[in-house]
Amino acid sequence: MGAFFSKYRARAGGLLVICLTGYAVLGLLWQNIRIYGGLPEKDPVTIHEERIRQLKPLLRASGEVGYVTTVENDRIFGFEKSFTNVEYLAQYALTQYTLAPLIVRNSPQFPLVIGNFLDGPPAPGFLEKNGLIELRDFGDGLILYRKDRKR
Amino acid sequence: MTTLSFIASLLLFLVIGYLLSIVFLPQPKSGASAFAFRLSAGAGLGIGVTSCIAFICLLAGLTRYLPAIDVAVCLVLGLICLALSRRGLAGKPPSLSQTRPFSGLLVVLAALFSIELIATILSFAVAFLKEPHGRWDAWLIWNMHARFLFRSGEAWRSVFAGGMEWSHWDYPLLLPLSAVRSWTYMGGESNTVPAVFAFLFTFLIIALLLFSLSLLRSRTHGLLATMILMGTPFFVSLGVSQFADIPFAFFVLATLIMLFFQGRSPENRTGSLILAGTAAGLCAWTKNEGLLFVLIAAVSVAGAAAVDGGGRQFVRRTGGFLAGALPVLLIVLYFKTRISPANDLVAGFSLAAASIKMLDPARYIEIAKAFFFTGISFTQGLIDVRVGMHFNPGAVNILLLAGYLLLAGVKTDPRDRICLFQTGAVLLLMLAGYFSVYVLTPLDLTYHLFTSLNRLFLQMWPSVIFVVFMIAGAPGEESAPGDGRDALPPLKPKAAKGKNKASLPEESSGRPLRDIPDREWTMSHEVRERNEYNKNPVRRHARLQREGDHSDDHREGAPA
Repeated sequence: MGAFFSKYRARAGGLLVICLTGYAVLGLLWQNIRIYGGLPEKDPVTIHEERIRQLKPLLRASGEVGYVTTVENDRIFGFEKSFTNVEYLAQYALTQYTLAPLIVRNSPQFPLVIGNFLDGPPAPGFLEKNGLIELRDFGDGLILYRKDRKR
Repeated sequence: MTTLSFIASLLLFLVIGYLLSIVFLPQPKSGASAFAFRLSAGAGLGIGVTSCIAFICLLAGLTRYLPAIDVAVCLVLGLICLALSRRGLAGKPPSLSQTRPFSGLLVVLAALFSIELIATILSFAVAFLKEPHGRWDAWLIWNMHARFLFRSGEAWRSVFAGGMEWSHWDYPLLLPLSAVRSWTYMGGESNTVPAVFAFLFTFLIIALLLFSLSLLRSRTHGLLATMILMGTPFFVSLGVSQFADIPFAFFVLATLIMLFFQGRSPENRTGSLILAGTAAGLCAWTKNEGLLFVLIAAVSVAGAAAVDGGGRQFVRRTGGFLAGALPVLLIVLYFKTRISPANDLVAGFSLAAASIKMLDPARYIEIAKAFFFTGISFTQGLIDVRVGMHFNPGAVNILLLAGYLLLAGVKTDPRDRICLFQTGAVLLLMLAGYFSVYVLTPLDLTYHLFTSLNRLFLQMWPSVIFVVFMIAGAPGEESAPGDGRDALPPLKPKAAKGKNKASLPEESSGRPLRDIPDREWTMSHEVRERNEYNKNPVRRHARLQREGDHSDDHREGAPA
């Protein structure tokens, strides 16, 4: 009797695994197929890379370059840590990802500074305060600045 | 040309890994499962070992000769294999489950498994098309490091002192250097390379789980276990994300599997242990938490050897494990002491702050709560920080494993007992270690838990599934737990030893069956019946007569 139940219990266990994993696997596939239909031609990282790549001819292959964005530099990581907005850090990291091995410093205190304003312009007076003079506007919120040597 | 070069880079690590498995693993047995097991274990180890070679070349400024050096390593390993095979390297094979012919149930199971495998590959492919660069940590850490190392040329060291702490330059280099190695072969970068490694590690884990369980238990065990892994959405999602957690999970699983092979191969113990040590060392070369894993695994091996075999076994087994781990650990040590900046957790550590945290019960409660909620939910995917910790169990989670174990029953093979304690202890101590790190973390606790705990759990998930299926029974094998058919006594007993004694058949390990107290537990129904039959002296004698063995005609109760 015990062996009989043991046999069917084990089969029930196998059936449980088959049903639930089948549901999970096919559910994931269905979810991905639905996503596939709505996929843009390019993913956000590739788009960002192509955007940032335009800077390369104007920058040295290695060395350092500054970086500014919509919010003050010291708030980029703060927003991410508090889960308020991870976009600023993502944009900064992707700029670095594209331009490596050139080091992109999260600071406006460099002779050349990249302005990445996908989420809007910086606070009024921010550029003037840091002595940033526009070198070239690539459009789509991407601007290369040079630092005013007097500042 | 670049595609061919890339394929060459893949083939070379595959050959190196496969040859390593031939050198160190006793021939499990012939057949497709054994070959596939060697291939899946060897491929992962090959990626790790060639990454170490790439690091040494980077240090020595020999990166351009990398393909030639890889070929030379291949040749040396090939010669060692040849020499060992001439001397009869195999020794006694490990005692593994016997391959059963495909039953109806197994055919159905294999068909369902194939459907799930195809669905998983398609899910992976679509997710890759959606995010070909991987997710957050891929381009913020791993692939970014690979780009820096490849593009910097001779000046690669300077990036570690570049002050980019936010990209965690203290993280080990197995994954970045694997990409760099392939790019070196190809002579240029390709975004496909990191994605191929992500694919390889994801499906190597599936293969390793499938074939190791097929060898150690049964095909049914292997198929059901891998179905649970493939049914884990977070496993596929993290795999395609190109994070290092999946390679780390591979090496953890490989370490534990090698420990079981060591338990099953008493004649050639150090070979499996050396590979276990190498896999554990490669954990440390993949992620920082690997250092904790090596320590725990080494202590577990030493502890098990001391309990099981005494002083000599302690030295032999611990030495074997450390011999495998040491070459990789020396590389990690050099990287940590000479090249990488300080880790953010270590740099932010202070004894005063740590003692305050250790005495704060609120931290323990928060961590325990996070462990519980994440433990139930981590299989489903990333934590939504807007929702916070909450129940999200999904179809496949730890409760499914518990439910399966409850239904299928606990049916272990006595030969695995020490290994089960050993691997169970490793997994529990890893969890305890992670708990302690969270107690002492200098980072914001909620942030740290939200951004890492589910990945840490997933790193252990394939190994947990493996260990559970080493314990559990399986449908269709209800009366043959552990598929211990390899340990079955033959129908015809061997020659009698001495008066009134019929010899007991011995296992392939050379261990007499009578030394295994609960052997009957592992026997099939058929064998139990046969043994009951043999206990009856009249029936037994009649049978021996039929089989032409008269060695114990003189036994009491034998008919005249």
